[in-house]
Amino acid sequence: MQTQERNRISGGRLWHNIVVILLFAFLLIPLLVTALFSVSTNWENTILPQGLTFKWYEALFSDTRFLYAIGRSFLIAILTVIVSLVIMVPTIFIISLYFPKLEKWLQTIVLLPFALPGVVAAVGLIKLYSAPPVAISGTIWILLGVYFIVLMPFVYQSTRNSLRAINAVELMEAAEVLGAAKLKAFVRVILPNIMPGLIVASLLSFSIIFGEFVLANMLVGGSYEVVQVYLFRILAQDGRAASGTIITFFIIIFILYALVLKIGNWKPKVKPLPDAEEEETA
Amino acid sequence: MSFVHIQNVTKVYNKNKVLDQVSLSISEGEFITLLGPSGCGKSTLLRAISGLNDITEGSITVGGKDITNLPPKKRNVGMVFQSYALFPNMTAFDNIAFGLKMDGLSKKEIEPMVNEMLDIIDLKGKENRYPSQLSGGQQQRVALARALVKKPTVLLLDEPLSALDAKIRRSLRTQIRLIQKRLNMTTIFVTHDQEEALTISDRIFVMNHGTVEQVGTPLEIYTSPKTEYVAKFIGNYNVWSRDQLKGIPMNGVPSQGEMFAVRPEAIQLVSTEQAGHIGEYTADGTITMATILGNVMRFDVDVAGLNIRVDMLNEHGIGRLNTGSRVKLVIPSIEWKNIQKSD
Repeated sequence: MQTQERNRISGGRLWHNIVVILLFAFLLIPLLVTALFSVSTNWENTILPQGLTFKWYEALFSDTRFLYAIGRSFLIAILTVIVSLVIMVPTIFIISLYFPKLEKWLQTIVLLPFALPGVVAAVGLIKLYSAPPVAISGTIWILLGVYFIVLMPFVYQSTRNSLRAINAVELMEAAEVLGAAKLKAFVRVILPNIMPGLIVASLLSFSIIFGEFVLANMLVGGSYEVVQVYLFRILAQDGRAASGTIITFFIIIFILYALVLKIGNWKPKVKPLPDAEEEETA
Repeated sequence: MSFVHIQNVTKVYNKNKVLDQVSLSISEGEFITLLGPSGCGKSTLLRAISGLNDITEGSITVGGKDITNLPPKKRNVGMVFQSYALFPNMTAFDNIAFGLKMDGLSKKEIEPMVNEMLDIIDLKGKENRYPSQLSGGQQQRVALARALVKKPTVLLLDEPLSALDAKIRRSLRTQIRLIQKRLNMTTIFVTHDQEEALTISDRIFVMNHGTVEQVGTPLEIYTSPKTEYVAKFIGNYNVWSRDQLKGIPMNGVPSQGEMFAVRPEAIQLVSTEQAGHIGEYTADGTITMATILGNVMRFDVDVAGLNIRVDMLNEHGIGRLNTGSRVKLVIPSIEWKNIQKSD
């Protein structure tokens, strides 16, 4: 009986491992092959590349078009994240603390982007913003606007969760009774305590924008070429440059997610103390 | 001349009168408790004094200064919350120093004041800990120090002990009272726990439906409740209406009054077999339930369908009184308290 049981369990574990390995293979093999291709000298009629080289990366990183595209991606992502935080965080704070009745409206507005596929939004936006009075189609400004909308749900969710987790209402009240004005209380007490949440939200937002293609391609395309669009266009011309771009891209996103995971699990400055479990002295 | 003077304070919220013409006066250095169940308006009144809630009508004066329309930061009141509300990003020291910093005091001025407070709350050596590194009782002491360090005109305590477990609650209760006496701090304490109110206060204000139902010292409130509501809330009083007593074979029911309260520990209970020496007695009954509460035994006695609660010290020999025992009850005439019916 017992051995049967054990066999059943180890069989289950084996099955589990196979599934995990298959999944990882499915996800990682294309990436590994791409990475290998991007550093191979020649890889046409052999099973493995004939030699390894970094010259494609050298070429890629001396190509100003690529560098500009990466730079633009960074710029638009950073700018949008800052604008989103500066506008959204105080708004969410004020509404959830002082006008809780308006929260359901905020929620509705914030979730709208999910109901609107990128392509649909893009077509509408091009029509609206191609002609005066606001002819910003094809510029960084239309991207900034649309990415702000894309980020709303993420910024909203993490800000609101952070505010709830720290019991912001009572912290504000305590600070006010102790003589702090509302703005001062927000800056000195609320902000430092929701900061980990905001950092995670920023990094997530950053990588969402960094990987977004549909809107970037349709709204601005070549007139403000970001790295996603560059990648798409180079794919048809130069396989090696495309592979190099993909790997560079992947590494940037990977680092961002690693940071998100690390900071997401980070607790505010708690040093372990040998006597932390000490009995009540009273 | 009273130090805290609350006059005709009314608060209407969503067309509900949460506070209805509440007036009360508190002397300097007095420790008073607002006692009542949740929703009676006690916390609303406390928050009105701190400025966290505005009021619809009335006025609040503290130390001769009308603070009715001042924002919280200008009132110089101290407040301690049920959930402590310590700032998680600051150490115990910085939490206590926060209010002084807001007043623009320099580091040099702040340090001795915070250290003195740490001494008073007995947390010297733990000033560099963050709230998450302190126990619940320690956190609440930091919150108390944070409120006291600014030398507020009045200290407001909003159920500060409710989140703590029983043992720590009792010891912190004593500590709060000692600190309050030492600093001669005028204090308003809000609780729904009658035992807490009775042990800690100079005076108790029993609140019900947004009004103050009875004011008095703990002894007055406990021994002479004025209304059915107070009698039921403050202890385990037997509360009977005259209608309920009609037809019950009992001697000594007062001829005046519609509603009566009798303390369970004021009633004497003697088993019928041993009742030889008893002359006058109130009623015959049967014990329907005997419950041990520790130092006290509680008996439910049935007298012709009327349930009478009797508490007796758990002395030697009390074991003879048990479920089913026939007993004689004695209620001294002075213990029949005439009370008002509450709706």
